[in-house]
Amino acid sequence: MADWSIPIGAGIAFGVGALGTAWAQSKIGTAGAGTIAERPETFGYMVILEAIPETLVILGFVVAAMIIIMVK
Amino acid sequence: MVIRVDFEYVNARVRGMKSRLLSTSVLESLILKPDVESIIAVLENTAYKEEIERASIQYSGLMCIEVALRKDFTNAFRKIFNMVEGENAEKYVKVLLNRWDVQNIKTILRGKNVHMIPAEILECLVPAGKLDDTTLIELIKQPDVKAVIDLLATWGIEYAEPLTRNFKEYTEKRDLAILEIAIDKFRYENAIDAVKGDSYDDRIIREMIAIEIDVTNIKTVLKMIRDKIDIEEAQTCLINGGSKLDIKRLLAMIRTGTIEGAIKHLGTTPYNFLLKLPQEAFRAGKISVFERELEKYLVKKGISKFFGDPLSIAIIVGYLAAKYNESTNIRIIARCKTADFTEKELREELIYV
Repeated sequence: MADWSIPIGAGIAFGVGALGTAWAQSKIGTAGAGTIAERPETFGYMVILEAIPETLVILGFVVAAMIIIMVK
Repeated sequence: MVIRVDFEYVNARVRGMKSRLLSTSVLESLILKPDVESIIAVLENTAYKEEIERASIQYSGLMCIEVALRKDFTNAFRKIFNMVEGENAEKYVKVLLNRWDVQNIKTILRGKNVHMIPAEILECLVPAGKLDDTTLIELIKQPDVKAVIDLLATWGIEYAEPLTRNFKEYTEKRDLAILEIAIDKFRYENAIDAVKGDSYDDRIIREMIAIEIDVTNIKTVLKMIRDKIDIEEAQTCLINGGSKLDIKRLLAMIRTGTIEGAIKHLGTTPYNFLLKLPQEAFRAGKISVFERELEKYLVKKGISKFFGDPLSIAIIVGYLAAKYNESTNIRIIARCKTADFTEKELREELIYV
């Protein structure tokens, strides 16, 4: 019988990270849009702030990859 | 049921708007300016630039500042209302902005009661609420108090109800205070009804309304003591729903018969700062001094909300109070400069810096 625990573990690591990123980006995105509407000069900062939660999903991806590659 | 309101976008914009409010150093420079023209010159380098330029086409001096401030104030409030229109947060902003609708209707009624000309009434209005310029101009065009109330009723504006209900008593006694108290009570009752929930936003608005009721009641009590109004009549003028002062306590204040005695009743409440006012204010019965301090307290309370939950109505409450404070302070500075007040006198007049 196939061992599903490894792909399921990798899926959780990646999926939960992606959900966390999506939630954080939605909040930062709406607040950022509001800030840019009032102060367009803050556009650069907002792009950086919007990108910061990407680290979560990248970390999830790395962990998922490590699970698949390293766990035998 | 607690309804979650998304404030991220609105509050970010409101914070952006707050960053454009004048800093203390700019206000200080306005205080030190010798005349109104130099104040206009300073304001032309601030967020008021556009409105000052527009107003200066038609007006000059004090009138230019007044018109520009009123327009800027109205625009700021309208902008926030438009941002939340159709959202869950709309009801909170409506409650906050209804204050201006009531104030405008009261101003029009007062104007009609003393037969002021429409242009003079229009100058005193701040169309920051639901009633826009067009509606207010139509109301001003009416010949008398009755016609104003009838038009409000025809348009189905909610404030017609308390006015119509109390119009008979007004015609009998010819006392405009009857209509003013009726509309105030109606507004506060509706406001408290609208924010009965347990959410943080409801609690913030409820707290602000309750403080406003307390402040209005204290002002009413002081005026009644000054005018020696009897206790039965006084009872009908007081508004239920205050945060720290119930009707019983307010009536006890009136029974003392003196301003000093009434203020002493506030010793255990947050309004005990009135006890620290100079003795001359008590002796001379200068109610305006007490009113100014109460107004300062209300503004301070509003501005302090800016440090509340950043994803709640608290930010909007804080901004509205800060904007009102700034607008009033600039108006006071400009008027004091026209009246040749000294710097010390001017600083005493300012609301809260």
